[in-house]
Amino acid sequence: MSVAPDTQTKFTAYAHPESLVSTEWVAQHLDDPNVRVIESNEDVLLYDTGHLPGAVHIDWRADLNNDLIRDYVDPKGFAELCERHGITPDMTLIFYGDKSNWWACYALWVFRLFGHQDVRVMDGGRQKWQAEERAFTREVPRYEHSAYPVPDHRRDDEIRAFYADTLAHSIAKKPLIDVRSPGEFRGEITHMPEYPQEGVLRGGHVPGAQSVPWKTAANDDGTFKSREELEKIYTQDLGLGQDDDIVAYCRIGERSSHTWFVLKYLLGYRKVRNYDGSWTEWGNMVRSPIERSDS
Amino acid sequence: MPYPKKLQEIVDLFEHLDEPEKRENLIVYADQADSHTPVDEEDYALEDVRKDEECTDTVGIFLKEEAGGGVTFRVSLGPQVQTLTRAMTAILCEGLSGETPQTVREVPADFVPKIVGGQLVRQRSQTVYYVLGRMKGACQVYERRKAMAE
Repeated sequence: MSVAPDTQTKFTAYAHPESLVSTEWVAQHLDDPNVRVIESNEDVLLYDTGHLPGAVHIDWRADLNNDLIRDYVDPKGFAELCERHGITPDMTLIFYGDKSNWWACYALWVFRLFGHQDVRVMDGGRQKWQAEERAFTREVPRYEHSAYPVPDHRRDDEIRAFYADTLAHSIAKKPLIDVRSPGEFRGEITHMPEYPQEGVLRGGHVPGAQSVPWKTAANDDGTFKSREELEKIYTQDLGLGQDDDIVAYCRIGERSSHTWFVLKYLLGYRKVRNYDGSWTEWGNMVRSPIERSDS
Repeated sequence: MPYPKKLQEIVDLFEHLDEPEKRENLIVYADQADSHTPVDEEDYALEDVRKDEECTDTVGIFLKEEAGGGVTFRVSLGPQVQTLTRAMTAILCEGLSGETPQTVREVPADFVPKIVGGQLVRQRSQTVYYVLGRMKGACQVYERRKAMAE
Protein backbone atom coordinates (compact mmCIF):
# COMPACT_ATOMS: atom_id res chain seq x y z
CA MET A 1 0.00 0.00 0.00
CA SER A 2 1.41 3.38 -0.97
CA VAL A 3 1.99 5.78 1.89
CA ALA A 4 0.93 9.42 1.56
CA PRO A 5 3.79 11.69 0.45
CA ASP A 6 5.38 14.41 2.50
CA THR A 7 3.67 17.64 1.47
CA GLN A 8 6.38 20.05 2.59
CA THR A 9 6.41 23.12 0.40
CA LYS A 10 10.02 22.61 -0.66
CA PHE A 11 9.23 19.13 -1.95
CA THR A 12 6.10 20.04 -3.88
CA ALA A 13 8.21 22.10 -6.29
CA TYR A 14 10.24 19.10 -7.43
CA ALA A 15 9.30 17.06 -10.51
CA HIS A 16 8.57 14.03 -8.33
CA PRO A 17 7.71 15.43 -4.90
CA GLU A 18 6.84 11.97 -3.64
CA SER A 19 10.50 10.94 -3.85
CA LEU A 20 11.64 13.01 -0.87
CA VAL A 21 10.58 12.97 2.76
CA SER A 22 11.64 15.15 5.66
CA THR A 23 13.15 13.96 8.94
CA GLU A 24 9.89 15.06 10.57
CA TRP A 25 7.84 12.86 8.24
CA VAL A 26 10.12 9.91 8.93
CA ALA A 27 9.84 10.44 12.69
CA GLN A 28 6.07 10.22 12.30
CA HIS A 29 6.26 7.02 10.23
CA LEU A 30 8.80 4.97 12.16
CA ASP A 31 6.10 2.55 13.27
CA ASP A 32 4.21 2.49 10.00
CA PRO A 33 4.07 -1.16 8.87
CA ASN A 34 3.96 -0.06 5.24
CA VAL A 35 7.23 1.82 5.57
CA ARG A 36 10.71 0.36 5.85
CA VAL A 37 13.55 2.72 6.71
CA ILE A 38 16.91 1.73 5.24
CA GLU A 39 20.30 3.11 6.28
CA SER A 40 23.22 2.87 3.86
CA ASN A 41 26.58 4.45 4.65
CA GLU A 42 30.14 4.88 3.61
CA ASP A 43 31.29 4.43 7.23
CA VAL A 44 31.05 0.66 7.56
CA LEU A 45 30.37 0.69 11.30
CA LEU A 46 28.18 3.76 11.55
CA TYR A 47 24.89 1.84 11.62
CA ASP A 48 26.23 -0.26 14.51
CA THR A 49 26.96 2.88 16.54
CA GLY A 50 23.28 3.84 16.39
CA HIS A 51 20.55 4.22 13.77
CA LEU A 52 16.95 5.34 13.41
CA PRO A 53 14.61 3.13 15.45
CA GLY A 54 13.44 0.29 13.24
CA ALA A 55 15.88 1.06 10.42
CA VAL A 56 17.60 -1.83 8.67
CA HIS A 57 21.11 -1.68 7.30
CA ILE A 58 22.03 -2.27 3.71
CA ASP A 59 25.75 -2.43 3.06
CA TRP A 60 26.59 -1.17 -0.44
CA ARG A 61 29.35 -3.73 -0.82
CA ALA A 62 28.25 -6.83 1.09
CA ASP A 63 24.53 -6.67 0.27
CA LEU A 64 24.31 -5.06 -3.16
CA ASN A 65 27.43 -6.20 -4.97
CA ASN A 66 28.58 -9.52 -6.32
CA ASP A 67 32.34 -9.23 -5.96
CA LEU A 68 33.07 -12.39 -7.91
CA ILE A 69 31.90 -10.87 -11.18
CA ARG A 70 32.08 -7.18 -10.22
CA ASP A 71 28.39 -6.60 -10.70
CA TYR A 72 25.28 -6.18 -8.63
CA VAL A 73 23.42 -9.07 -7.12
CA ASP A 74 21.11 -10.90 -9.48
CA PRO A 75 17.29 -10.71 -9.20
CA LYS A 76 17.23 -13.76 -6.93
CA GLY A 77 19.84 -12.23 -4.64
CA PHE A 78 17.88 -9.00 -4.55
CA ALA A 79 14.65 -10.78 -3.64
CA GLU A 80 16.45 -12.64 -0.85
CA LEU A 81 17.87 -9.37 0.48
CA CYS A 82 14.39 -7.85 0.61
CA GLU A 83 12.96 -10.94 2.27
CA ARG A 84 15.65 -10.85 4.99
CA HIS A 85 14.50 -7.35 5.88
CA GLY A 86 10.79 -8.11 5.65
CA ILE A 87 10.38 -5.91 2.59
CA THR A 88 7.48 -6.51 0.23
CA PRO A 89 7.09 -5.06 -3.29
CA ASP A 90 4.33 -2.67 -2.23
CA MET A 91 6.26 -1.25 0.70
CA THR A 92 7.43 2.38 0.86
CA LEU A 93 11.19 2.41 1.28
CA ILE A 94 12.93 5.38 2.86
CA PHE A 95 16.67 5.58 2.27
CA TYR A 96 19.05 7.66 4.36
CA GLY A 97 22.71 7.62 5.28
CA ASP A 98 25.94 9.53 5.81
CA LYS A 99 27.84 11.75 3.36
CA SER A 100 24.81 13.77 2.25
CA ASN A 101 22.99 10.57 1.27
CA TRP A 102 25.51 9.36 -1.33
CA TRP A 103 25.05 5.74 -0.37
CA ALA A 104 21.33 6.14 0.27
CA CYS A 105 20.95 7.32 -3.32
CA TYR A 106 23.21 4.50 -4.48
CA ALA A 107 21.08 1.89 -2.67
CA LEU A 108 17.90 3.51 -3.97
CA TRP A 109 19.32 3.37 -7.50
CA VAL A 110 20.04 -0.35 -7.09
CA PHE A 111 16.50 -0.92 -5.79
CA ARG A 112 15.22 0.84 -8.89
CA LEU A 113 17.40 -1.45 -11.04
CA PHE A 114 15.17 -4.21 -9.76
CA GLY A 115 12.01 -2.22 -10.24
CA HIS A 116 10.98 -1.52 -6.65
CA GLN A 117 8.43 1.23 -7.12
CA ASP A 118 8.06 3.32 -3.99
CA VAL A 119 11.52 4.52 -3.07
CA ARG A 120 12.18 7.81 -1.30
CA VAL A 121 15.13 9.64 0.24
CA MET A 122 15.12 11.32 3.65
CA ASP A 123 16.29 14.86 2.85
CA GLY A 124 19.44 15.69 4.80
CA GLY A 125 20.09 12.09 5.74
CA ARG A 126 21.74 11.04 8.93
CA GLN A 127 23.44 14.38 9.38
CA LYS A 128 20.15 16.26 9.62
CA TRP A 129 18.50 13.66 11.86
CA GLN A 130 21.48 13.92 14.22
CA ALA A 131 21.57 17.73 14.11
CA GLU A 132 17.93 17.77 15.17
CA GLU A 133 18.82 15.51 18.09
CA ARG A 134 16.32 12.89 17.08
CA ALA A 135 16.39 9.38 18.49
CA PHE A 136 19.02 6.80 17.64
CA THR A 137 19.13 3.22 18.86
CA ARG A 138 21.60 0.36 18.73
CA GLU A 139 18.82 -2.18 18.77
CA VAL A 140 18.81 -4.09 15.49
CA PRO A 141 15.23 -4.72 14.38
CA ARG A 142 14.11 -8.20 13.45
CA TYR A 143 11.35 -8.37 10.86
CA GLU A 144 9.48 -11.45 9.85
CA HIS A 145 10.73 -12.89 6.59
CA SER A 146 8.64 -11.55 3.73
CA ALA A 147 7.77 -12.92 0.34
CA TYR A 148 9.37 -10.85 -2.41
CA PRO A 149 8.88 -12.22 -5.93
CA VAL A 150 12.11 -12.53 -7.88
CA PRO A 151 12.11 -9.63 -10.39
CA ASP A 152 12.04 -10.88 -13.96
CA HIS A 153 15.11 -8.85 -14.88
CA ARG A 154 17.45 -6.12 -13.75
CA ARG A 155 16.76 -2.87 -15.59
CA ASP A 156 20.34 -2.15 -16.53
CA ASP A 157 19.31 -0.77 -19.91
CA GLU A 158 17.09 1.89 -18.35
CA ILE A 159 19.16 3.59 -15.66
CA ARG A 160 22.64 2.06 -15.83
CA ALA A 161 25.45 2.80 -18.28
CA PHE A 162 28.34 0.45 -18.96
CA TYR A 163 31.76 1.29 -20.37
CA ALA A 164 30.68 0.70 -23.99
CA ASP A 165 27.58 2.86 -23.50
CA THR A 166 29.66 5.66 -22.05
CA LEU A 167 32.25 5.44 -24.82
CA ALA A 168 29.48 5.64 -27.43
CA HIS A 169 28.01 8.55 -25.50
CA SER A 170 31.37 10.32 -25.50
CA ILE A 171 31.90 9.78 -29.23
CA ALA A 172 28.37 10.99 -30.00
CA LYS A 173 28.99 14.06 -27.82
CA LYS A 174 25.89 13.43 -25.74
CA PRO A 175 25.62 14.94 -22.25
CA LEU A 176 28.14 13.36 -19.89
CA ILE A 177 28.37 14.72 -16.37
CA ASP A 178 31.48 14.19 -14.29
CA VAL A 179 30.39 14.78 -10.70
CA ARG A 180 33.82 14.38 -9.08
CA SER A 181 35.78 17.22 -7.55
CA PRO A 182 37.39 19.73 -9.95
CA GLY A 183 40.85 18.41 -9.07
CA GLU A 184 39.88 14.89 -10.07
CA PHE A 185 38.22 16.15 -13.25
CA ARG A 186 41.33 18.05 -14.30
CA GLY A 187 43.50 15.01 -13.57
CA GLU A 188 45.53 16.82 -10.93
CA ILE A 189 44.68 14.23 -8.30
CA THR A 190 43.83 10.55 -8.65
CA HIS A 191 41.85 10.30 -5.45
CA MET A 192 38.91 12.10 -3.95
CA PRO A 193 39.99 15.00 -1.71
CA GLU A 194 40.21 13.71 1.86
CA TYR A 195 40.39 10.07 0.77
CA PRO A 196 43.26 7.70 0.07
CA GLN A 197 44.22 6.65 -3.46
CA GLU A 198 41.82 3.94 -4.50
CA GLY A 199 43.79 2.28 -7.24
CA VAL A 200 43.34 4.33 -10.37
CA LEU A 201 46.22 4.63 -12.82
CA ARG A 202 45.39 7.85 -14.64
CA GLY A 203 43.83 11.18 -13.79
CA GLY A 204 41.51 13.07 -16.10
CA HIS A 205 37.98 12.71 -17.39
CA VAL A 206 35.93 11.05 -20.12
CA PRO A 207 36.30 13.08 -23.34
CA GLY A 208 33.46 15.54 -23.66
CA ALA A 209 32.34 15.26 -20.05
CA GLN A 210 31.35 18.42 -18.25
CA SER A 211 32.31 19.01 -14.64
CA VAL A 212 29.43 19.52 -12.24
CA PRO A 213 30.54 18.27 -8.81
CA TRP A 214 27.78 16.46 -6.93
CA LYS A 215 28.16 18.94 -4.07
CA THR A 216 26.68 21.74 -6.16
CA ALA A 217 23.29 20.03 -5.70
CA ALA A 218 23.50 19.84 -1.90
CA ASN A 219 23.30 22.32 0.92
CA ASP A 220 25.81 22.28 3.77
CA ASP A 221 23.31 20.47 6.00
CA GLY A 222 23.13 17.59 3.53
CA THR A 223 19.71 18.52 2.15
CA PHE A 224 19.05 18.91 -1.55
CA LYS A 225 18.98 22.38 -3.03
CA SER A 226 15.66 23.82 -4.10
CA ARG A 227 14.17 23.11 -7.52
CA GLU A 228 14.96 26.64 -8.61
CA GLU A 229 18.61 26.33 -7.57
CA LEU A 230 18.94 22.95 -9.26
CA GLU A 231 17.41 24.21 -12.48
CA LYS A 232 19.94 27.04 -12.53
CA ILE A 233 22.79 24.51 -12.30
CA TYR A 234 21.63 21.80 -14.66
CA THR A 235 19.08 23.39 -16.98
CA GLN A 236 20.32 26.94 -17.41
CA ASP A 237 24.08 26.70 -16.86
CA LEU A 238 24.67 23.18 -18.19
CA GLY A 239 21.96 23.44 -20.81
CA LEU A 240 20.39 20.03 -20.28
CA GLY A 241 17.11 19.48 -22.10
CA GLN A 242 14.24 17.34 -20.87
CA ASP A 243 14.72 14.81 -23.65
CA ASP A 244 18.50 14.61 -23.44
CA ASP A 245 20.10 11.22 -22.97
CA ILE A 246 22.30 11.87 -19.92
CA VAL A 247 25.05 9.79 -18.29
CA ALA A 248 26.61 10.70 -14.93
CA TYR A 249 29.74 9.19 -13.42
CA CYS A 250 32.18 9.67 -10.56
CA ARG A 251 34.76 7.25 -9.16
CA ILE A 252 32.73 4.19 -8.15
CA GLY A 253 29.19 5.32 -8.84
CA GLU A 254 27.99 6.57 -5.47
CA ARG A 255 28.42 10.33 -5.89
CA SER A 256 26.90 10.03 -9.36
CA SER A 257 23.93 8.19 -7.81
CA HIS A 258 23.30 11.41 -5.88
CA THR A 259 23.33 13.42 -9.12
CA TRP A 260 21.26 10.73 -10.88
CA PHE A 261 18.61 11.08 -8.17
CA VAL A 262 18.62 14.87 -8.54
CA LEU A 263 18.26 14.76 -12.32
CA LYS A 264 15.72 11.93 -12.43
CA TYR A 265 13.48 12.65 -9.47
CA LEU A 266 13.95 16.27 -8.47
CA LEU A 267 14.24 17.76 -11.96
CA GLY A 268 12.37 15.08 -13.88
CA TYR A 269 14.82 14.39 -16.71
CA ARG A 270 13.47 11.38 -18.52
CA LYS A 271 16.58 9.50 -19.56
CA VAL A 272 19.39 9.56 -17.00
CA ARG A 273 21.82 6.72 -16.46
CA ASN A 274 24.48 6.17 -13.85
CA TYR A 275 27.81 4.81 -15.08
CA ASP A 276 28.73 2.84 -11.99
CA GLY A 277 32.01 1.55 -13.43
CA SER A 278 32.98 5.22 -13.36
CA TRP A 279 36.54 6.44 -13.18
CA THR A 280 37.94 3.31 -11.52
CA GLU A 281 37.00 1.47 -14.70
CA TRP A 282 37.49 4.20 -17.29
CA GLY A 283 40.78 5.50 -15.88
CA ASN A 284 42.29 2.02 -15.81
CA MET A 285 40.87 0.55 -19.00
CA VAL A 286 43.49 -0.18 -21.66
CA ARG A 287 43.06 2.10 -24.68
CA SER A 288 40.28 4.13 -23.13
CA PRO A 289 40.70 7.78 -24.17
CA ILE A 290 40.84 10.55 -21.58
CA GLU A 291 41.04 14.30 -21.52
CA ARG A 292 42.81 16.56 -19.06
CA SER A 293 41.46 19.95 -20.10
CA ASP A 294 39.94 22.37 -17.59
CA SER A 295 36.61 22.62 -19.33
CA MET B 1 58.14 -9.85 13.19
CA PRO B 2 56.04 -10.47 16.31
CA TYR B 3 53.64 -7.74 17.36
CA PRO B 4 54.14 -5.86 20.63
CA LYS B 5 52.67 -7.85 23.53
CA LYS B 6 49.59 -5.71 24.18
CA LEU B 7 48.82 -5.46 20.48
CA GLN B 8 49.22 -9.23 20.12
CA GLU B 9 46.67 -9.71 22.90
CA ILE B 10 44.17 -7.56 21.02
CA VAL B 11 44.88 -9.42 17.78
CA ASP B 12 44.38 -12.75 19.60
CA LEU B 13 41.07 -11.53 20.98
CA PHE B 14 39.74 -10.42 17.60
CA GLU B 15 41.00 -13.41 15.65
CA HIS B 16 38.69 -15.67 17.61
CA LEU B 17 35.60 -13.53 17.16
CA ASP B 18 32.99 -14.06 14.52
CA GLU B 19 31.93 -11.13 12.32
CA PRO B 20 29.12 -9.74 14.54
CA GLU B 21 31.33 -9.96 17.63
CA LYS B 22 34.15 -8.23 15.80
CA ARG B 23 31.79 -5.40 14.94
CA GLU B 24 30.56 -5.14 18.51
CA ASN B 25 34.09 -5.00 19.89
CA LEU B 26 35.16 -2.47 17.28
CA ILE B 27 32.30 -0.24 18.39
CA VAL B 28 33.47 -0.60 21.99
CA TYR B 29 36.96 0.48 20.95
CA ALA B 30 35.56 3.32 18.83
CA ASP B 31 33.68 4.57 21.89
CA GLN B 32 36.96 4.50 23.82
CA ALA B 33 38.78 6.70 21.31
CA ASP B 34 37.81 9.83 23.22
CA SER B 35 39.63 8.53 26.29
CA HIS B 36 42.87 8.69 24.32
CA THR B 37 42.66 12.38 23.46
CA PRO B 38 45.47 14.65 24.76
CA VAL B 39 45.09 16.08 28.24
CA ASP B 40 46.26 19.44 29.55
CA GLU B 41 48.24 17.95 32.42
CA GLU B 42 50.59 16.01 30.17
CA ASP B 43 53.68 17.24 28.34
CA TYR B 44 54.25 15.85 24.89
CA ALA B 45 57.61 15.45 23.21
CA LEU B 46 55.98 15.81 19.82
CA GLU B 47 52.66 17.20 18.63
CA ASP B 48 51.62 16.71 15.01
CA VAL B 49 48.15 18.06 14.26
CA ARG B 50 47.12 18.31 10.65
CA LYS B 51 44.51 17.56 8.04
CA ASP B 52 46.07 15.66 5.19
CA GLU B 53 44.75 15.68 1.67
CA GLU B 54 43.94 11.98 2.02
CA CYS B 55 42.15 11.97 5.37
CA THR B 56 38.56 12.97 6.01
CA ASP B 57 39.30 15.22 8.97
CA THR B 58 42.02 16.62 11.20
CA VAL B 59 44.04 14.06 13.14
CA GLY B 60 46.46 15.07 15.90
CA ILE B 61 49.19 12.72 17.10
CA PHE B 62 50.70 13.52 20.49
CA LEU B 63 53.75 11.51 21.54
CA LYS B 64 54.66 11.29 25.21
CA GLU B 65 57.98 9.99 26.49
CA GLU B 66 57.85 7.26 29.08
CA ALA B 67 60.55 6.05 31.44
CA GLY B 68 62.83 3.41 29.91
CA GLY B 69 62.76 4.79 26.38
CA GLY B 70 59.15 3.90 25.59
CA VAL B 71 56.45 6.20 24.28
CA THR B 72 52.68 6.47 24.54
CA PHE B 73 50.29 8.16 22.16
CA ARG B 74 47.35 10.49 22.56
CA VAL B 75 45.28 11.16 19.48
CA SER B 76 42.74 13.86 18.64
CA LEU B 77 40.24 13.02 15.93
CA GLY B 78 37.95 15.34 14.02
CA PRO B 79 34.22 14.54 13.95
CA GLN B 80 34.30 13.31 10.34
CA VAL B 81 36.77 10.52 11.06
CA GLN B 82 35.16 7.14 10.35
CA THR B 83 34.12 4.77 13.11
CA LEU B 84 36.60 2.11 12.03
CA THR B 85 39.45 4.60 12.19
CA ARG B 86 38.30 5.68 15.67
CA ALA B 87 38.35 2.05 16.77
CA MET B 88 41.81 1.50 15.33
CA THR B 89 43.04 4.63 17.10
CA ALA B 90 42.00 3.25 20.50
CA ILE B 91 43.49 -0.15 19.63
CA LEU B 92 46.80 1.42 18.63
CA CYS B 93 46.97 3.71 21.65
CA GLU B 94 46.42 0.70 23.88
CA GLY B 95 48.40 -1.84 21.90
CA LEU B 96 51.50 0.27 21.37
CA SER B 97 51.57 1.92 24.78
CA GLY B 98 55.05 1.88 26.30
CA GLU B 99 56.80 0.51 23.21
CA THR B 100 59.97 2.11 21.89
CA PRO B 101 59.76 4.37 18.83
CA GLN B 102 61.76 1.82 16.84
CA THR B 103 59.29 -0.94 17.70
CA VAL B 104 56.38 1.26 16.66
CA ARG B 105 58.07 2.08 13.35
CA GLU B 106 58.62 -1.60 12.65
CA VAL B 107 55.14 -2.85 13.48
CA PRO B 108 53.86 -4.52 10.32
CA ALA B 109 50.43 -3.34 9.21
CA ASP B 110 49.20 -6.87 8.55
CA PHE B 111 47.54 -7.00 11.96
CA VAL B 112 44.82 -4.66 10.71
CA PRO B 113 42.81 -7.23 8.69
CA LYS B 114 43.29 -9.73 11.52
CA ILE B 115 41.47 -7.36 13.84
CA VAL B 116 39.00 -5.80 11.45
CA GLY B 117 38.31 -8.79 9.23
CA GLY B 118 38.42 -8.85 5.45
CA GLN B 119 34.82 -7.67 5.10
CA LEU B 120 35.43 -4.21 6.47
CA VAL B 121 38.84 -3.34 4.98
CA ARG B 122 37.90 -2.19 1.51
CA GLN B 123 37.41 0.85 -0.65
CA ARG B 124 36.33 3.80 1.44
CA SER B 125 37.63 2.30 4.67
CA GLN B 126 41.33 2.41 3.87
CA THR B 127 41.86 5.24 6.35
CA VAL B 128 41.97 2.46 8.91
CA TYR B 129 45.71 2.35 8.15
CA TYR B 130 46.13 6.09 8.38
CA VAL B 131 46.60 6.53 12.13
CA LEU B 132 49.28 3.82 12.27
CA GLY B 133 51.13 5.62 9.49
CA ARG B 134 50.93 8.89 11.38
CA MET B 135 52.19 7.26 14.60
CA LYS B 136 55.13 5.77 12.73
CA GLY B 137 55.87 9.13 11.18
CA ALA B 138 55.77 10.79 14.59
CA CYS B 139 58.24 8.23 15.93
CA GLN B 140 60.57 8.87 13.02
CA VAL B 141 60.57 12.62 13.60
CA TYR B 142 60.96 12.14 17.35
CA GLU B 143 63.98 9.85 16.85
CA ARG B 144 65.60 12.30 14.43
CA ARG B 145 65.14 15.20 16.79
CA LYS B 146 66.51 13.20 19.65
CA ALA B 147 69.56 12.11 17.64
CA MET B 148 70.25 15.72 16.63
CA ALA B 149 70.01 16.88 20.21
CA GLU B 150 72.55 14.32 21.38
